Amino acid sequence: MLEARRLTLRRGERALIDDLSLTAACGELTLIVGPNGAGKSTLLSLLSGLTPPTSGDLRLAGRDVRTLGARDLARLRAVVEQEPGWQPGFNAAELVMMGGYLQGGSRNGWREAMRLMQCDALAKRQLETLSGGERQRVHLARALWQLMSSGESQRFWLLDEPTAALDFGLADALLAEVRALAQTLRLGVVAVVHDLNLAWRHADQILLMESGRGAAFGPPGEIMQKDRLEALYGVRLAELISHDEQLRAFVPLAEPRTRD
Amino acid sequence: MRLLPFVVLMSAVIALTAGTALTLTPDGRPEPLLALFSGNLPPIERELLWQLRLPRQLLAFTAGALLAAAGGAIQARFKNPLAEPGLIGISGGAALSAALALQCGLPTPWVPLAAFGGGLAALGLTSLMSRPGTDGDRLILAGIAVNAIFGSLLTILIATLPDGSLRTITFWLMGSFANADWPQAERFVIAAPILLWLLFREWRLLNALQLGAATAFHLGFDVRRGGARVVLLAALATALVVSHCGMVGFVGLMAPHLARQLVGSHARRLQIAAPLLGGWLALLADWLAHSLIYPAELPVGVITSLAGAPFFLWLLWQSNRRRRHA
Repeated sequence: MLEARRLTLRRGERALIDDLSLTAACGELTLIVGPNGAGKSTLLSLLSGLTPPTSGDLRLAGRDVRTLGARDLARLRAVVEQEPGWQPGFNAAELVMMGGYLQGGSRNGWREAMRLMQCDALAKRQLETLSGGERQRVHLARALWQLMSSGESQRFWLLDEPTAALDFGLADALLAEVRALAQTLRLGVVAVVHDLNLAWRHADQILLMESGRGAAFGPPGEIMQKDRLEALYGVRLAELISHDEQLRAFVPLAEPRTRD
Repeated sequence: MRLLPFVVLMSAVIALTAGTALTLTPDGRPEPLLALFSGNLPPIERELLWQLRLPRQLLAFTAGALLAAAGGAIQARFKNPLAEPGLIGISGGAALSAALALQCGLPTPWVPLAAFGGGLAALGLTSLMSRPGTDGDRLILAGIAVNAIFGSLLTILIATLPDGSLRTITFWLMGSFANADWPQAERFVIAAPILLWLLFREWRLLNALQLGAATAFHLGFDVRRGGARVVLLAALATALVVSHCGMVGFVGLMAPHLARQLVGSHARRLQIAAPLLGGWLALLADWLAHSLIYPAELPVGVITSLAGAPFFLWLLWQSNRRRRHA
């Protein structure tokens, strides 16, 4: 389990994260949604151990994150940032291999990580020749290899807007893949996404954030209420439901312009 | 890159280096170092080669290699392709400190250590001014200013002393391998492989740092401690060179860049290729400095700066262009 209890991060007077609690289980996809500036990326940075919280308690696999060094943390969680850094002069395989630098792992295991992320065909390509979406996949494979090469039984994959560089078809496919990997490899995945409908379709749990606080947390059906979302985002929404009631989506409605 | 092309490429660089060392003489006469081994040399020539040229070439090669390895490591640490020991202040601080140590009559082995302290102090000042992590360009700007301050202080120090009591200003600011002797060469032949190996060992960290400090942390590296280790080693290498040969500029910038073009950014290859190329560049620059106005001699730093400064400007232009397109 990833357990965050009453996390708070203050910068001066302002609370960037305010008394937020969250649990994420292995094998499940937990998605964080909320308006811009709600603190989604900041929360992910806290969960990764990069930013220490001002107060509150964070445990990965029952271990207090404050007591873990960088190396121990890396065995429990891997992170793909919103715009992960890269350098020209490396090929994709070399980048993926960095995931296993401190873990050992099998000699060729990185190939499997690339195959699972469906980017094994890119292995020999130089990073500067890849598109934004391709590079994103290579970074996901790098983080996946970090977790696969760790000997821990509970591992967490933290992703900050993994779908940002993708069109909606690819974004949908990627989240489906990530969820399938979470189930087969028993990874706890916590990801930030912007698209409410994607979240609704793929999440096992959704955390809805509003100005640093957790506005709601639970299964998608409970969280995705039209009234609540309208209030949070400040737009009117139409809710579309397919005939068999299997598929649901929200569409923002343009306010009729008042003539002046 | 596969192993075989890399080995072939590195062998070519080594052959080039050996060729430079064995065949190029300062006065263009056809008695290269090679003749040492053929045995039909007049004793005086033999002595000249053995006592002057060989230690000088060993010093130039190892010093160039150390500067290149330090430059490669510093570029990775600060994730800044424009960084090198001379441009972030280490060299200036080291030179002033070494000159002070010599003036105070410190015993020879202590001079490089004093230079090490001075280099670190200058780097501390540079980092304080630039707050690394905010903007890479500020590091270079602060470094150039810090280097200028220490260079000026050094000039004042030497100008106020009686003539000849200390090595010349030109020696410190422009560097020279002309004072090479066997004790110096021996020191370098022992110290350089150790320092190069210690820097090479950090290749995983150096690779991870090139992705940025946050990603390196996520990969499990203790960025603060590892980064400090890398910077200390680079400063030590620089201090050793500066205290013996003065400030030989831009080798630490050029060699890693050329190496990157040849073998890519992977530090496991780069920290082998860059020192070899750096050594060769220094050897070549020393030969040019020695022979261009023979029998007089130019400071070697004139040659490396003449080649390196335009190179720096070209890199600057490239990075500006990349930023505009991004």
